[in-house]
Amino acid sequence: MGWHAYAALWCGVFGALALVGYGRSLAGMTRAQRTVRAKGRIERVGEPRHGSSPNDGISVVVSFQDPSTGQEFTVTNDGERGERISVAWTGREIGVSYPRGRPHAVRFSHRFSEGGRGLGRPNFSLFLVYAGLVAVAVVDRGWPWALVGFCGPWALSGLFHLPGNVRDRNRRIDGLAAMAVVPGRVVAVLRSVTVDSDDGHTSTTLMPVVTFTTLDGREVTAYCGSGIPDPAGSRGSDLTIHYAPADPADFVLDVEAERRSWKRDMAVNVVGVLVVAAAAAVGVVAM
Amino acid sequence: MLARGFLTGGVTGVSLAAVVVGIVLGSVPLIVGGACLLAVYVLIRYLAGMPRRARDAAVPPCLALAMIESREAVRGEASDMPVRFDLTVAPDDAPAYRVEFTQDINVAYLPDYRPRGILVVQYPPDRPLKVRIVKRPTPEWEERVAAARLDSAPGPARASDPAEGAGATAVGFLGLLLGAALVVLLFRADLFRADLFGEDGTGTARPPVATSGTSSAFTITVSSVTGTVALGSGQSFLDEGRLGGSVATLARGEDRQRALTVTVQERLLTVVFAPTGTPAASRIDLESLPYDRVPALVQEAMTTLGVGTLSTWQLTADRLTGTVVLRVSVTGSEGAAYLEADGQGKVVRRVSAGG
Repeated sequence: MGWHAYAALWCGVFGALALVGYGRSLAGMTRAQRTVRAKGRIERVGEPRHGSSPNDGISVVVSFQDPSTGQEFTVTNDGERGERISVAWTGREIGVSYPRGRPHAVRFSHRFSEGGRGLGRPNFSLFLVYAGLVAVAVVDRGWPWALVGFCGPWALSGLFHLPGNVRDRNRRIDGLAAMAVVPGRVVAVLRSVTVDSDDGHTSTTLMPVVTFTTLDGREVTAYCGSGIPDPAGSRGSDLTIHYAPADPADFVLDVEAERRSWKRDMAVNVVGVLVVAAAAAVGVVAM
Repeated sequence: MLARGFLTGGVTGVSLAAVVVGIVLGSVPLIVGGACLLAVYVLIRYLAGMPRRARDAAVPPCLALAMIESREAVRGEASDMPVRFDLTVAPDDAPAYRVEFTQDINVAYLPDYRPRGILVVQYPPDRPLKVRIVKRPTPEWEERVAAARLDSAPGPARASDPAEGAGATAVGFLGLLLGAALVVLLFRADLFRADLFGEDGTGTARPPVATSGTSSAFTITVSSVTGTVALGSGQSFLDEGRLGGSVATLARGEDRQRALTVTVQERLLTVVFAPTGTPAASRIDLESLPYDRVPALVQEAMTTLGVGTLSTWQLTADRLTGTVVLRVSVTGSEGAAYLEADGQGKVVRRVSAGG
């Protein structure tokens, strides 16, 4: 069996998987389509214990209503419950989702979304088919096809999204100027120590927890993974918190550093798109 | 559980061995087959487990109050440490029972889990021993914990995971070894052929291989046309069993039936293989030669043919006349002589020195 046969096998298998995925989506059978999405409300926020693990997220009690039955449920973020709750205050609304008829299997998310049609996996399978075809073209016709095949679509996508990305970053930079300023405090430093079973190497992660009260009286508890110079000894230290009045989950400690970071991010985005586009152009010229 | 572990180990062993053997033999189908076998097995296991997972997921877990009878933490450097719990579980609608299980607990929360302490546990309705501590109970259950008074259930505690542990691991490992051994056994002929003749099995471009034994060293060189074994100093093909063993390392399988001539000197063995198309009547079956008789034949030629002080000896075997003929030639201070023997090593002709 020649290598073309293996390439055909690759494309055939993933093509079939993609077709199955699209078929399931059309039939409304994907997990995303069978997921119930609702809006949950944080009823209670637990105080993180100093030295405990940050992996479980801030302890919260969440209530939500099943949209179809109207039944009220109260759950906690014990165990695997989707996204980690890293910013919480009483009354905060968060997204909850669960398979239809199984509200006990609830998962949390920070954003409210409609869910989509579950096309992620079939799209990825289709990409693998495309990658297989590009690989065949590269072997049969030469390296320029690699640049054109991979960098071409990437560059087109980047160019298509670039204006929106630039607008988004500009909006973020403008939003920094409109942030409210309140005092905050590090109430605990969480600590996660893992040991590599192979070489015994110990890895320690520190996560300071800050609390602050917004101007409208919301008491926010949040993980603060960056911006604190000495996380290990920061417990009890006072901070200045800048937060977006519309969403206190969007907060920073150093506005200027954040502004520089966003500008750098925008520059990297633009340069990245140009590099990929240039690579695709080189491929076209060399063909 | 043990059977499934054995099967998983076996399939893994077969797959890994197939990939490795495929790489050694240069067989792409074997490599792909090995990888696909494991993938298909994982897929089948996943699909076979779907109904059970769906059934388990559809039913909410049972919640119950429990009391810690004892706990034992395994100290380590990690912040989440495995803790062995012995609990009395008191379901609302069933008698209390004791269960033992292990769960990771963060070191900062370890003081909360004291003996006689009350907590909330959950388990699948159909598997009450599969208990897991609810670290963050809802307010309703927190109130129940605060008001609860539980009595110990009679022991001994039943293990939550009886089939896990060293036994299951050993069975899985045994399956892995057996699976790997099965593949090696199935392809042993090709593997050893590849070892001697090169990866393509044709032996057309194989560099000499030097092998060290426990008491001696020898060099084997094999091509599609000839095979030679050269012994190190201090050794001889007249040593007991050495000649037969050396021929066996030179030719296996079909090659044993396609020798044209065999030539043996004191420390050099040469087998010339018949080219394709050579009539079977002219080929020697290497398995049929009387290797055990060779030392005696050489000894007889040395002592009875009048060559004087022995200088060299050589044995040649061929079948060019239709029957196997072994000729032992000796040269010495008084000249050269030879004797001929048949395929069984029986002397049929003697030509003395000078005669």
